[in-house]
Amino acid sequence: MCGIAGIVRPDCGPAVPEQQLLRMAGAIRHRGPDGFGLARTPGAGFVSTRLSIFDLPGGWQPFETGEGSILIYNGEVYNHPELRAELEARGESFETSCDTEVVLRLLQRHGLSCLDRLNGQFALAYWEPGPRRLTMVRDRFGVRPLYFSLLSDGTIVLASEAKAIFASGLVHPEPDPIGLDQIFTLWGPRPPRTAFRGVSQLGPGEVVIWERGRVVAQHRWWTPDLDPIDTTSPSPEELDSLLRDSVRLRLRADVPVGTYLSGGLDSSLITALAQQETDHRLRTFSLAFSESSYDERAHQEEVAEAIGSEHHTLEITSQQIAEALPEVIWHTESPLVRTAPVPMYLLAREVRASGITVIATGEGADELFWGYDLFKEVVLRELSATDPVQAAELLDQLYGYLGPEAARRGPAWRRFILETGTSDDPLSSHLTRARSTAAIKAFYSPQISAEIGDGDRALDELRAGLPSKVAQMGSMQRAAWLELTTLLEPYLLSAQGDRVAMASGVEGRFPFLDHRVFGYAARLAPEMKLDQLEEKVALRRLASRVLPAGIAGRGKQPYRAPAVKPFFGPDAPEWVAAQLSDERLVDAGIWDPARVSGLLRRCRSGRVTSLREEMSLIAVLSTQVWQQAFVSESRSWQAEATTPKVRIDRELPSAEAAST
Amino acid sequence: MIPQETTVRAEMRAFIEDNFLYMHPDVELADDEDLLTRGLVDSLGFVELVEEVQGRYAVEVQDVEITEQNFGSIDAIVAYVERKRG
Repeated sequence: MCGIAGIVRPDCGPAVPEQQLLRMAGAIRHRGPDGFGLARTPGAGFVSTRLSIFDLPGGWQPFETGEGSILIYNGEVYNHPELRAELEARGESFETSCDTEVVLRLLQRHGLSCLDRLNGQFALAYWEPGPRRLTMVRDRFGVRPLYFSLLSDGTIVLASEAKAIFASGLVHPEPDPIGLDQIFTLWGPRPPRTAFRGVSQLGPGEVVIWERGRVVAQHRWWTPDLDPIDTTSPSPEELDSLLRDSVRLRLRADVPVGTYLSGGLDSSLITALAQQETDHRLRTFSLAFSESSYDERAHQEEVAEAIGSEHHTLEITSQQIAEALPEVIWHTESPLVRTAPVPMYLLAREVRASGITVIATGEGADELFWGYDLFKEVVLRELSATDPVQAAELLDQLYGYLGPEAARRGPAWRRFILETGTSDDPLSSHLTRARSTAAIKAFYSPQISAEIGDGDRALDELRAGLPSKVAQMGSMQRAAWLELTTLLEPYLLSAQGDRVAMASGVEGRFPFLDHRVFGYAARLAPEMKLDQLEEKVALRRLASRVLPAGIAGRGKQPYRAPAVKPFFGPDAPEWVAAQLSDERLVDAGIWDPARVSGLLRRCRSGRVTSLREEMSLIAVLSTQVWQQAFVSESRSWQAEATTPKVRIDRELPSAEAAST
Repeated sequence: MIPQETTVRAEMRAFIEDNFLYMHPDVELADDEDLLTRGLVDSLGFVELVEEVQGRYAVEVQDVEITEQNFGSIDAIVAYVERKRG
């Protein structure tokens, strides 16, 4: 697991200054705290920061082939031993035992067709100096990030995080109102957009090929096929075997692996299987909250005891959430609509301090096996057409976990959920969430509103860009596709996943996001995913074999964290008021101070109780922090100061002179 | 005690101003003005509005009654509460 970055000019031209590369490495050193490497070829330069997981003494990057091609690679290919054995049988020999070298040999031998063979999570850039071709690839689900900027002279600047692109000094950070509007509709920007103008990201399963100054190819090498031709529902034994194998592969590391335990079904199942697949006592990590309505400690402890793990709980207070938000925004590089990534950031820090650098989690199960309430809302919306009374009763049960908040909800709430959108709108499954979130937009400044334009731009573009196959899917499959493509990567795997874990040099691994498990779930009969209001039926059945009945049968409780209290309670940090002052709001230019002041008045007097206003507050506050950190503050980027573990320099001395 | 029509009117105006109008500082809201059409209350805000009427005046709102006719303006809400209270 690493951070990667590079600069490539359209022609050999002047050398890429080493100092520029060192600044880029410095900006993403948190992703690779164990060291870094550097490579330059004429008109091109690359850096890689490394978190050592396989082949601790070897495996340093950039990797160079005998022909002078270079690979920088962030991620893991879990089936690398099997792929290595195949290559060795065909006469390949290896210098390291690291997966990076396996990927490089496969790329050399088979080109991009080798990607289908890779089981893992990765983002890579492969540089061929001869044709001046840079090939960038991202894994199927977009677990690992990859950003790039194409400059007006054709130079491409790429990095695992946008901050390294800015550290190059070649791109100045500026807000992209359209990207921001996507975040304030769907919780995350839709690739290729980001929150920054002029910075693009590869989408999940995407390949971008740049050659001599321009992008010559851009396509998806993998897309989630939720409407498979083979509709024979697979057996429970196959799920057992696939998930166990996925867990087994994701335990592969030359360092100890732990798990996150939320107390819910998915992480409990992964933890139970991981404990069965390993010969040492597993270490499990959980978040707990001092506010009981968010706390799942009792369930977590029950699972840890049943599994026999060495369990560690980190209790989060509102004060910690407020204090850590600016650091979190620095890592997410994007405003947020929820505080949920903050506790995840604090937990990763705790995990790292405990000596663990690899964590397996239950991410992905809700998308593959229809676990979210959103899927149940689709069912209830359809039921409502024929039996509105039963649909309303079931809806009340669905939101029982909200306690008094749910009890307050009456028929208007039911109608909001059950009658949102028209049945022929392909986005109907997601309109409830999008419309709740879109309340944020009422606070836009006039200039931002003008740049975004009238209408529901984020939803209109999503609707217009739906592949025809998706538009024709059944309502549940389409909801799953939308969830996979608009929430999983843009928010859960990014702001709440890679960024907050890699901030502390912790690698998340996701056994449910093994493409074979995905293929299984796609073929699975719908009623084995969601049966009325019982979600993830197939997983529950599997879980009942390895977990106590109370856990296997436990209903879903979404992960949430306190939103208003941390920033307006007695212990709120001073920066909150400063960021929300009229002066700062005018300076940032994204929000309307008059409207925001009304919201703040309500927050201060404790009158904010609606989700609509909670999300608005977090959006405004996090955007202010984000704008200051990246846009308005002039930053001096610290260059990496340690000695590189690898240094490849093929730059010509004359070019070096030209660049200085 | 059953609140007077003028009390309901004042309370609902205060609720709407407090919850929604701060986002529209230039708007002077008339009692007969349509809250949804003018974009002062969105669909989720409409839910909050109905819940407020339900909770504050202890009226049991029926599904079929959740219409703009009953909740679309201050006048409409006042008339609805009056009708429900007989």
